Amino acid sequence: MTRTEPAAPAVAAQVAAVAPPLPVKLVIAGGFGVGKTTAVGSISEIEPLTTEAAITEVAAGVDDLSHTPRKTTTTVAMDFGCITIDPTLKLYLFGTPGQERFGFMWDDIVEGAVGGLVIVDTRRLDDCYAAVDYFEHKQIPFAVAVNAFDGKVEHTLEEVRWALDVAERVPVVVFDARERGSVRDALLVVLEQALARSGG
Amino acid sequence: MADGSPPPGDPDPVGPAPAVRPFLVTAGRVAPTASGRPVPVETQVVATAEGLVVLDELDFEQHDIVAACRRPQSVAELAARLRLHLNVVRVLAEDLRAAGYLTVHVPDSGVTHDASVLRRVIEALRAIPDSRGVLRDSD
Repeated sequence: MTRTEPAAPAVAAQVAAVAPPLPVKLVIAGGFGVGKTTAVGSISEIEPLTTEAAITEVAAGVDDLSHTPRKTTTTVAMDFGCITIDPTLKLYLFGTPGQERFGFMWDDIVEGAVGGLVIVDTRRLDDCYAAVDYFEHKQIPFAVAVNAFDGKVEHTLEEVRWALDVAERVPVVVFDARERGSVRDALLVVLEQALARSGG
Repeated sequence: MADGSPPPGDPDPVGPAPAVRPFLVTAGRVAPTASGRPVPVETQVVATAEGLVVLDELDFEQHDIVAACRRPQSVAELAARLRLHLNVVRVLAEDLRAAGYLTVHVPDSGVTHDASVLRRVIEALRAIPDSRGVLRDSD
Protein backbone atom coordinates (compact mmCIF):
# COMPACT_ATOMS: atom_id res chain seq x y z
CA MET A 1 0.00 0.00 0.00
CA THR A 2 1.30 3.43 -0.83
CA ARG A 3 1.87 5.73 2.07
CA THR A 4 -0.60 8.55 2.05
CA GLU A 5 -1.55 10.78 4.93
CA PRO A 6 -4.97 12.12 4.02
CA ALA A 7 -6.04 12.64 7.60
CA ALA A 8 -4.16 15.42 9.40
CA PRO A 9 -0.56 14.22 9.29
CA ALA A 10 0.43 16.93 11.76
CA VAL A 11 -1.25 14.93 14.51
CA ALA A 12 1.01 11.96 13.95
CA ALA A 13 4.42 12.41 15.51
CA GLN A 14 5.28 8.80 14.75
CA VAL A 15 4.93 6.89 11.54
CA ALA A 16 1.99 4.54 11.37
CA ALA A 17 2.85 0.97 10.48
CA VAL A 18 0.02 1.05 7.91
CA ALA A 19 -1.53 4.10 6.28
CA PRO A 20 -5.17 4.50 7.36
CA PRO A 21 -7.98 5.27 4.93
CA LEU A 22 -9.68 8.65 4.89
CA PRO A 23 -12.97 8.11 6.73
CA VAL A 24 -16.10 9.69 5.22
CA LYS A 25 -19.08 9.67 7.55
CA LEU A 26 -22.82 9.54 6.89
CA VAL A 27 -25.33 9.60 9.72
CA ILE A 28 -28.51 7.51 9.71
CA ALA A 29 -31.15 9.10 11.93
CA GLY A 30 -34.78 8.58 12.86
CA GLY A 31 -36.96 7.36 15.68
CA PHE A 32 -36.56 4.16 17.66
CA GLY A 33 -37.25 1.00 15.67
CA VAL A 34 -37.61 2.81 12.36
CA GLY A 35 -35.04 0.65 10.59
CA LYS A 36 -31.73 2.43 11.14
CA THR A 37 -29.77 -0.65 12.15
CA THR A 38 -31.49 -2.70 9.46
CA ALA A 39 -30.44 -0.15 6.85
CA VAL A 40 -26.85 -0.10 8.08
CA GLY A 41 -26.76 -3.90 8.15
CA SER A 42 -28.16 -4.19 4.64
CA ILE A 43 -25.20 -2.42 3.07
CA SER A 44 -22.33 -2.56 5.58
CA GLU A 45 -19.46 -4.90 4.74
CA ILE A 46 -19.26 -5.83 8.43
CA GLU A 47 -22.00 -6.88 10.80
CA PRO A 48 -23.17 -3.65 12.43
CA LEU A 49 -21.12 -2.89 15.52
CA THR A 50 -22.51 -1.29 18.65
CA THR A 51 -20.77 1.14 20.91
CA GLU A 52 -21.85 3.58 23.55
CA ALA A 53 -22.12 7.27 22.82
CA ALA A 54 -22.66 10.09 25.23
CA ILE A 55 -25.84 12.02 24.47
CA THR A 56 -26.68 15.31 26.11
CA GLU A 57 -30.40 15.54 26.70
CA VAL A 58 -32.22 18.73 27.43
CA ALA A 59 -35.36 17.72 29.27
CA ALA A 60 -38.56 19.24 27.97
CA GLY A 61 -39.50 20.64 31.36
CA VAL A 62 -37.80 23.33 33.39
CA ASP A 63 -36.26 22.80 36.77
CA ASP A 64 -38.54 24.57 39.25
CA LEU A 65 -35.74 25.70 41.52
CA SER A 66 -33.20 27.08 39.08
CA HIS A 67 -35.51 27.89 36.14
CA THR A 68 -32.95 26.45 33.81
CA PRO A 69 -33.55 23.52 31.48
CA ARG A 70 -32.40 20.26 32.95
CA LYS A 71 -29.49 18.95 30.99
CA THR A 72 -28.25 15.44 31.56
CA THR A 73 -25.81 13.27 29.72
CA THR A 74 -26.75 9.66 29.23
CA THR A 75 -25.03 6.82 27.53
CA VAL A 76 -26.87 5.17 24.68
CA ALA A 77 -26.11 2.45 22.19
CA MET A 78 -25.04 3.51 18.72
CA ASP A 79 -24.86 1.11 15.79
CA PHE A 80 -22.57 1.56 12.84
CA GLY A 81 -21.10 -0.12 9.81
CA CYS A 82 -18.71 0.66 6.98
CA ILE A 83 -18.00 0.22 3.30
CA THR A 84 -14.43 0.19 1.98
CA ILE A 85 -14.31 2.38 -1.11
CA ASP A 86 -10.64 1.62 -1.80
CA PRO A 87 -7.55 1.26 0.40
CA THR A 88 -7.40 5.01 0.91
CA LEU A 89 -11.09 5.77 1.43
CA LYS A 90 -13.75 4.27 3.69
CA LEU A 91 -17.41 5.19 4.16
CA TYR A 92 -18.77 4.95 7.69
CA LEU A 93 -22.48 4.76 8.44
CA PHE A 94 -23.42 5.80 11.96
CA GLY A 95 -26.91 5.24 13.27
CA THR A 96 -28.00 7.79 15.84
CA PRO A 97 -29.69 6.43 18.93
CA GLY A 98 -33.46 6.80 18.70
CA GLN A 99 -34.78 9.31 21.20
CA GLU A 100 -38.26 10.66 20.65
CA ARG A 101 -39.37 12.79 23.56
CA PHE A 102 -36.35 14.95 24.21
CA GLY A 103 -34.49 17.61 22.44
CA PHE A 104 -30.95 16.29 22.25
CA MET A 105 -27.55 16.78 20.82
CA TRP A 106 -25.81 14.30 18.63
CA ASP A 107 -22.71 16.39 18.12
CA ASP A 108 -20.47 13.63 19.39
CA ILE A 109 -21.59 11.39 16.54
CA VAL A 110 -22.39 13.88 13.80
CA GLU A 111 -19.31 16.13 13.97
CA GLY A 112 -17.73 16.13 10.51
CA ALA A 113 -20.46 14.08 8.78
CA VAL A 114 -20.88 14.80 5.05
CA GLY A 115 -24.61 14.14 5.20
CA GLY A 116 -27.53 12.51 6.92
CA LEU A 117 -30.38 10.17 6.04
CA VAL A 118 -33.53 10.57 8.14
CA ILE A 119 -35.55 7.37 8.11
CA VAL A 120 -39.27 7.81 8.56
CA ASP A 121 -42.05 5.43 9.51
CA THR A 122 -45.21 7.04 8.16
CA ARG A 123 -47.21 5.55 11.03
CA ARG A 124 -45.06 7.53 13.47
CA LEU A 125 -44.06 10.62 11.57
CA ASP A 126 -43.42 12.75 14.63
CA ASP A 127 -40.58 10.45 15.71
CA CYS A 128 -38.33 11.99 13.09
CA TYR A 129 -38.98 15.69 13.73
CA ALA A 130 -35.97 15.97 16.03
CA ALA A 131 -33.66 14.54 13.37
CA VAL A 132 -35.00 16.83 10.64
CA ASP A 133 -34.65 19.85 12.94
CA TYR A 134 -31.14 18.85 13.87
CA PHE A 135 -29.84 18.52 10.32
CA GLU A 136 -31.55 21.75 9.27
CA HIS A 137 -30.13 23.61 12.24
CA LYS A 138 -26.64 22.24 11.63
CA GLN A 139 -26.96 22.84 7.87
CA ILE A 140 -25.92 19.29 7.14
CA PRO A 141 -27.09 18.00 3.74
CA PHE A 142 -29.75 15.37 4.27
CA ALA A 143 -32.55 13.41 2.66
CA VAL A 144 -35.70 11.86 4.09
CA ALA A 145 -36.26 8.18 3.37
CA VAL A 146 -39.68 6.71 4.08
CA ASN A 147 -39.22 3.09 5.09
CA ALA A 148 -41.77 0.95 3.26
CA PHE A 149 -42.62 -1.58 5.95
CA ASP A 150 -44.04 -4.67 4.26
CA GLY A 151 -43.80 -2.80 0.97
CA LYS A 152 -46.49 -0.35 2.06
CA VAL A 153 -46.39 3.36 2.73
CA GLU A 154 -49.41 4.85 4.46
CA HIS A 155 -48.97 8.37 3.14
CA THR A 156 -47.88 9.84 -0.17
CA LEU A 157 -44.49 11.51 -0.37
CA GLU A 158 -46.21 14.86 -0.77
CA GLU A 159 -48.12 14.26 2.46
CA VAL A 160 -44.87 13.33 4.22
CA ARG A 161 -43.12 16.40 2.86
CA TRP A 162 -46.02 18.60 4.00
CA ALA A 163 -46.12 17.01 7.45
CA LEU A 164 -42.37 17.35 7.98
CA ASP A 165 -42.29 20.84 6.48
CA VAL A 166 -38.89 20.25 4.91
CA ALA A 167 -37.41 22.65 2.40
CA GLU A 168 -38.07 21.97 -1.29
CA ARG A 169 -34.40 21.11 -1.89
CA VAL A 170 -34.54 18.24 0.63
CA PRO A 171 -35.22 14.98 -1.25
CA VAL A 172 -37.97 12.72 0.12
CA VAL A 173 -37.81 9.15 -1.16
CA VAL A 174 -39.32 5.76 -0.41
CA PHE A 175 -36.98 2.90 0.36
CA ASP A 176 -36.82 -0.52 1.95
CA ALA A 177 -34.26 -0.73 4.76
CA ARG A 178 -33.94 -4.50 4.19
CA GLU A 179 -32.86 -4.19 0.55
CA ARG A 180 -29.25 -3.42 -0.14
CA GLY A 181 -29.95 -1.77 -3.50
CA SER A 182 -32.64 0.36 -1.95
CA VAL A 183 -30.38 1.51 0.89
CA ARG A 184 -27.58 2.18 -1.61
CA ASP A 185 -29.88 4.41 -3.66
CA ALA A 186 -31.04 6.33 -0.58
CA LEU A 187 -27.41 6.93 0.44
CA LEU A 188 -26.62 8.09 -3.08
CA VAL A 189 -29.38 10.70 -2.80
CA VAL A 190 -27.71 12.02 0.36
CA LEU A 191 -24.26 12.00 -1.24
CA GLU A 192 -25.57 13.89 -4.28
CA GLN A 193 -26.92 16.50 -1.87
CA ALA A 194 -23.52 16.70 -0.20
CA LEU A 195 -21.80 16.95 -3.57
CA ALA A 196 -24.10 19.78 -4.65
CA ARG A 197 -23.33 21.57 -1.38
CA SER A 198 -19.60 21.14 -1.94
CA GLY A 199 -19.96 22.96 -5.24
CA GLY A 200 -18.95 19.85 -7.18
CA MET B 1 -22.09 11.95 32.78
CA ALA B 2 -18.91 13.35 34.22
CA ASP B 3 -18.09 10.42 36.46
CA GLY B 4 -18.82 7.69 33.96
CA SER B 5 -21.46 5.97 36.02
CA PRO B 6 -24.67 4.92 34.30
CA PRO B 7 -27.77 6.95 35.11
CA PRO B 8 -29.86 5.31 37.82
CA GLY B 9 -32.62 3.07 36.56
CA ASP B 10 -31.33 3.09 33.02
CA PRO B 11 -30.61 -0.42 31.77
CA ASP B 12 -27.28 -1.00 30.08
CA PRO B 13 -28.11 -0.74 26.38
CA VAL B 14 -25.42 -3.11 25.14
CA GLY B 15 -25.46 -6.02 27.55
CA PRO B 16 -23.51 -6.98 30.64
CA ALA B 17 -21.65 -4.16 32.36
CA PRO B 18 -17.86 -4.38 32.33
CA ALA B 19 -16.29 -5.31 35.65
CA VAL B 20 -14.37 -2.03 35.82
CA ARG B 21 -16.14 1.31 35.82
CA PRO B 22 -15.46 2.85 32.42
CA PHE B 23 -13.37 5.84 33.41
CA LEU B 24 -11.25 4.16 36.05
CA VAL B 25 -8.83 3.00 33.37
CA THR B 26 -8.30 6.58 32.21
CA ALA B 27 -7.77 8.00 35.70
CA GLY B 28 -10.87 10.09 35.29
CA ARG B 29 -9.86 11.96 32.17
CA VAL B 30 -12.13 12.47 29.17
CA ALA B 31 -12.08 14.44 25.91
CA PRO B 32 -8.36 14.56 25.48
CA THR B 33 -7.51 16.53 22.33
CA ALA B 34 -5.36 19.63 22.33
CA SER B 35 -8.31 21.59 20.95
CA GLY B 36 -10.40 20.44 23.90
CA ARG B 37 -12.91 18.67 21.62
CA PRO B 38 -13.22 14.92 21.46
CA VAL B 39 -11.93 13.42 18.23
CA PRO B 40 -14.67 12.33 15.80
CA VAL B 41 -15.89 8.75 16.13
CA GLU B 42 -14.48 7.84 12.70
CA THR B 43 -10.95 9.06 13.60
CA GLN B 44 -8.45 6.45 12.45
CA VAL B 45 -5.96 4.93 14.87
CA VAL B 46 -2.96 2.86 13.78
CA ALA B 47 -0.18 1.14 15.69
CA THR B 48 3.37 2.35 15.17
CA ALA B 49 6.29 -0.02 14.69
CA GLU B 50 7.44 1.01 18.16
CA GLY B 51 4.02 0.22 19.61
CA LEU B 52 4.13 -3.28 18.16
CA VAL B 53 7.66 -3.80 19.52
CA VAL B 54 6.60 -2.98 23.09
CA LEU B 55 3.20 -4.64 22.75
CA ASP B 56 3.89 -7.43 25.23
CA GLU B 57 4.95 -4.94 27.89
CA LEU B 58 1.69 -3.00 27.72
CA ASP B 59 -1.12 -3.64 30.17
CA PHE B 60 -4.71 -4.64 29.53
CA GLU B 61 -6.59 -2.04 27.51
CA GLN B 62 -3.42 -0.43 26.19
CA HIS B 63 -2.24 -3.80 24.96
CA ASP B 64 -5.59 -4.61 23.37
CA ILE B 65 -5.83 -1.26 21.61
CA VAL B 66 -2.33 -1.37 20.11
CA ALA B 67 -2.82 -5.01 19.09
CA ALA B 68 -6.15 -4.19 17.39
CA CYS B 69 -4.51 -1.28 15.59
CA ARG B 70 -2.18 -3.45 13.55
CA ARG B 71 -4.84 -2.62 11.00
CA PRO B 72 -6.25 0.92 10.94
CA GLN B 73 -9.36 1.21 13.10
CA SER B 74 -11.78 3.99 13.86
CA VAL B 75 -12.15 4.87 17.53
CA ALA B 76 -15.76 3.67 17.24
CA GLU B 77 -14.65 0.26 15.93
CA LEU B 78 -12.10 -0.02 18.72
CA ALA B 79 -14.73 0.79 21.33
CA ALA B 80 -17.17 -1.73 19.89
CA ARG B 81 -14.67 -4.55 19.37
CA LEU B 82 -12.96 -4.12 22.74
CA ARG B 83 -16.24 -3.33 24.52
CA LEU B 84 -14.89 -0.10 25.93
CA HIS B 85 -16.71 3.18 26.28
CA LEU B 86 -16.03 5.51 23.35
CA ASN B 87 -14.51 8.15 25.60
CA VAL B 88 -12.26 5.60 27.27
CA VAL B 89 -10.86 4.71 23.86
CA ARG B 90 -10.40 8.39 23.08
CA VAL B 91 -8.41 8.97 26.25
CA LEU B 92 -6.29 5.84 25.99
CA ALA B 93 -5.60 6.44 22.31
CA GLU B 94 -4.31 9.90 23.16
CA ASP B 95 -2.08 8.43 25.89
CA LEU B 96 -0.73 5.83 23.49
CA ARG B 97 -0.19 8.45 20.81
CA ALA B 98 1.76 10.61 23.26
CA ALA B 99 3.87 7.56 24.12
CA GLY B 100 4.60 7.00 20.43
CA TYR B 101 2.76 3.68 20.19
CA LEU B 102 -0.14 4.83 18.02
CA THR B 103 -0.81 7.41 15.37
CA VAL B 104 -4.16 9.17 15.57
CA HIS B 105 -5.49 10.53 12.29
CA VAL B 106 -8.23 13.07 12.84
CA PRO B 107 -10.10 13.47 9.54
CA ASP B 108 -9.92 16.92 8.00
CA SER B 109 -13.53 17.79 7.20
CA GLY B 110 -12.32 20.08 4.43
CA VAL B 111 -10.91 16.98 2.72
CA THR B 112 -13.78 14.59 3.46
CA HIS B 113 -16.31 17.14 2.14
CA ASP B 114 -14.29 17.76 -1.02
CA ALA B 115 -16.17 17.15 -4.27
CA SER B 116 -13.52 14.77 -5.62
CA VAL B 117 -13.75 12.61 -2.49
CA LEU B 118 -17.55 12.60 -2.58
CA ARG B 119 -17.48 11.61 -6.26
CA ARG B 120 -15.25 8.63 -5.47
CA VAL B 121 -17.67 7.49 -2.78
CA ILE B 122 -20.63 7.94 -5.13
CA GLU B 123 -18.97 5.96 -7.91
CA ALA B 124 -18.07 3.11 -5.59
CA LEU B 125 -21.57 2.98 -4.11
CA ARG B 126 -23.14 2.90 -7.57
CA ALA B 127 -21.09 -0.19 -8.30
CA ILE B 128 -22.65 -2.09 -5.39
CA PRO B 129 -25.12 -4.68 -6.73
CA ASP B 130 -28.73 -4.80 -5.57
CA SER B 131 -28.63 -7.86 -3.39
CA ARG B 132 -26.33 -10.29 -1.73
CA GLY B 133 -29.18 -12.61 -0.91
CA VAL B 134 -28.97 -12.25 2.84
CA LEU B 135 -31.56 -10.31 4.79
CA ARG B 136 -31.44 -9.31 8.40
CA ASP B 137 -34.49 -8.23 10.26
CA SER B 138 -33.01 -6.98 13.51
CA ASP B 139 -33.21 -3.35 14.46
